[in-house]
Amino acid sequence: MPAALFVLALILPFIVREFWVHVLNEILILGLFALSFNMIFGYMGQLSFGHAAYYGVGAYTTGLLMVKANWPLFVTLPISMVTAGICALILGYFCVRLRGIYFAILTMAFGQLVFYIIFQWYSFTGGDNGLQGINPPAWLFKTNPYYFFTLVVVTIGAIILWFISESPFGYTMRTIRDNTERTEFIGINVQRYMLINFVIAGMFAGLAGAIWGPFNRSVAPDLCSWQHSGGPVFMAILGGPHYFLGPMLGSVIYTLLNAFVTGYTEYWPLVSGTVIIIVVLLLPGGVLGVYKEKFGHLKSKESTTLEHGGS
Amino acid sequence: MANDNILQVEHLSKAFHKYQVLTDVNYNLPKGEIAAIIGPNGAGKTTFFNLVTGYHAVSGGTVTFMDKNITNWSRHKIARTGITRAFQVSNIYPKLTTYENVRQSVLAQQKKTLNFFTPARKLARNETLELLDITGLSEFRDTEAGILSQGDKKKLELALALASKPSLLLLDEPTAGMSSEETHNTMELVKRLNKEIGLTILFTEHDISVIFGYARKLSVLHQGVLVAEGTPEEVRNNKEAQQCYLGEEI
Repeated sequence: MPAALFVLALILPFIVREFWVHVLNEILILGLFALSFNMIFGYMGQLSFGHAAYYGVGAYTTGLLMVKANWPLFVTLPISMVTAGICALILGYFCVRLRGIYFAILTMAFGQLVFYIIFQWYSFTGGDNGLQGINPPAWLFKTNPYYFFTLVVVTIGAIILWFISESPFGYTMRTIRDNTERTEFIGINVQRYMLINFVIAGMFAGLAGAIWGPFNRSVAPDLCSWQHSGGPVFMAILGGPHYFLGPMLGSVIYTLLNAFVTGYTEYWPLVSGTVIIIVVLLLPGGVLGVYKEKFGHLKSKESTTLEHGGS
Repeated sequence: MANDNILQVEHLSKAFHKYQVLTDVNYNLPKGEIAAIIGPNGAGKTTFFNLVTGYHAVSGGTVTFMDKNITNWSRHKIARTGITRAFQVSNIYPKLTTYENVRQSVLAQQKKTLNFFTPARKLARNETLELLDITGLSEFRDTEAGILSQGDKKKLELALALASKPSLLLLDEPTAGMSSEETHNTMELVKRLNKEIGLTILFTEHDISVIFGYARKLSVLHQGVLVAEGTPEEVRNNKEAQQCYLGEEI
């Protein structure tokens, strides 16, 4: 199934108009962002409401290095992962001491902190003007080449995250989600594991942010705002947080809907709000959750575990 | 003190706010023993376990395990040192299959949980299957643990605890919710583990036949105080013990 999706993603740019290639690009970048978020939400069972901070740090790292130091994109990508990871390590150190709503509030508070630092620091970040002129190298300058570049980066990122999610570490995240207390009694230092996962999630959010800047040719502090942190939350819930590709599907629906709706009206939040209400009330477990429940048992045994998410 | 005690508890006390739950408990557990702590509900048995395994902070006194002072260590550190417990109310991973439940405990014991890139399903296979086999859970290996029967959840509890390869196993009412046949099988397994690998076992139980059938050492807790201790025979004949707990049953 993922292979078929990949082939579809390869073919689509040759079929659809350029505008929709931009939309596809957005779907992929935000999809990677949502997949990284879901390492904390779907797998570890905690809601981070400040995940855009790490996305923003990644975006600004690449933006600043490319604009101010003229560093090549390929060098800035891994550096963005490192800076976002360090940021997640420092802030996550405090967040993993908390659970549930307190975890959500603290991640959100830290996210806003990062937002205000970037927003206020005119001399370095350009403040609310953002950074302009983040141009990808010439051979990636056109729409299609950059789209394929995004496709490759996002695919590699998703594969790495998938491997992690299926590894003993990934299953340890599920045990922390299912029963944190018991996990301590089988000898796991829960806080340390949560922190490691928080850093992994931050790094891949940073990677997603890093490819956003050159795609959009600019970055703005909005990328770090709490509203932007809401995106992956919505995508994961929409697509299905208990399936590996659920957040990616959420990104497809969310981003396509956004592209359609904003073509007709300014009232996008009205539409997205309505969709949230419908999903929460009628589609518990997201689109994939409901799909598997309705059609899953036609195939072999399907469980509500994450087992089949990526296969 | 003699080093043949795997667990030594001295002057152990616990108070929740002003409510004294355990008072000055002194307890020694020799290595290789099967011992039981008995007492009426609310006597402090589970609290005793909670203090030994780091679930609650100790208010006073010390806990020494294999000559190490482990008082107020964190839970995971105590588990790694060799004390594991099976809980009274089953405390499992309801969304994972029975097999995945046990596998995670095995992987934790093997220190493989920081492996990021090998699929978990390829690891710890034999150990997991063996544990499912000896605890009688093989037929439920692909069942989601949350929908197991109460008795099977208790077996899974035991399997999770055994997977840690402990030196001291604490079982909090291991047979609650089990049929008499399951109770027999479970306790026979415990006995066999004690005999074959020298696992030290401390359990609490209400079932008199289990207590007198399997424990070689009994300690009676009453309102947070250790009131009697000895072989099952000694305790059976102890006046104080009879008054607070055994009463008319003997």
